[in-house]
Amino acid sequence: MGEEQKAAGDIPGEFPFCEILMGEQDVMEAMREIPGYLDITPSDFQEVYRHACRHAVRRIMQAAKARDIMTRDVLSVGPDLSAKEVARAMASKGIAGVPVVDAQGLVLGVISEKDFFRLMGASEFPNFMAVVARCLTEKGCVAFPLREKRAKDIMSSPAITVGEETPAVEIARTFTQKRINRVPVVDKDGRIVGIVSRADILKLPFLGG
Amino acid sequence: MGFFEKLKGTAKSPPGVSPKEIFWSWLGGFLGIGLLGLLAAGGLAQQEKVMLIGSFGASAVLLYGAPKSPLAQPRNLLGGHIFSGLVGVACHKLFGEAPWFASAMAVSGAIALMHLTRTLHPPGGATALIAVIGGEKIHSLGFWYCLNPVGLGASIMLLVSLLVNNIPAHRRYPEFWI
Repeated sequence: MGEEQKAAGDIPGEFPFCEILMGEQDVMEAMREIPGYLDITPSDFQEVYRHACRHAVRRIMQAAKARDIMTRDVLSVGPDLSAKEVARAMASKGIAGVPVVDAQGLVLGVISEKDFFRLMGASEFPNFMAVVARCLTEKGCVAFPLREKRAKDIMSSPAITVGEETPAVEIARTFTQKRINRVPVVDKDGRIVGIVSRADILKLPFLGG
Repeated sequence: MGFFEKLKGTAKSPPGVSPKEIFWSWLGGFLGIGLLGLLAAGGLAQQEKVMLIGSFGASAVLLYGAPKSPLAQPRNLLGGHIFSGLVGVACHKLFGEAPWFASAMAVSGAIALMHLTRTLHPPGGATALIAVIGGEKIHSLGFWYCLNPVGLGASIMLLVSLLVNNIPAHRRYPEFWI
């Protein structure tokens, strides 16, 4: 039983709804709606609910595989595409990261906004405001170091990928541990077949339940 | 759901408890009832040997065996015993000539009054019944029965529960007072 509890505790922090969804007041109302005497305090019921909710999330996240939740229509870029073109492609699709894929469909790496931010001097905090702050404190803006670069120069590699059969719970753990927001899904030959983002995981319990 | 379907039962029996939990339940039961017995022998009872009444055995199950149950909380323990004692003594005084009727009225009345006062405590049913069928010693106490042994005994059991159930890290008592 201890083992099981530990496992339930493993669920990444993206699922606070097990903690906050149900207040003591809600339990009181529910207990009033059920006729007859219930031999449990509202707070004990809440505790049971929280544990049960975590088990449910874990069960659903174990059952759902990468293949079930991934986006199949992936925008990817070639390794020799210029940084300018990569940025343009990401901007036009409104996405914050693209896989870099060779001619055979093998995933070489992933380019995310963070990689751009870092190259634009925001090395301490790779985010947009850090770039803005640097723009405001230094002379001129700082996209120049990017001009000559190609996709293969700016991507994070080797690529972190998951298989089509990887359970959602493991993908969520990968996001947390590697501090990434999306991960390419590859087939058994290593060719890209889709991509899973944090948003895909978050939607999951509400879909699969 | 049909009548016979209901008879089959639909839920699962909840899981058992750990050996640690059983030990602390045992210890509480032993100390609670032991202390009552010692105090009775030591002369705290109004009349010899009526300190320890049967319903305390049932209270011990709840207080030490299921301390998280709403049925085991101080409000329920004290209220349940005392209200039920009142009903029991009143029923004996009113209907004592017909013990079967007095008993039935005592127990059913105790259940109703405990529900009404939100003090449901199953051993209260025994407290009410004992007021009717407990013999001469009990009858001679009149309504004092509700205070001693009933109220006093329940209070001693409560003290033991407050002590024993708050020693191990995995237990706490009470969930609520009133």
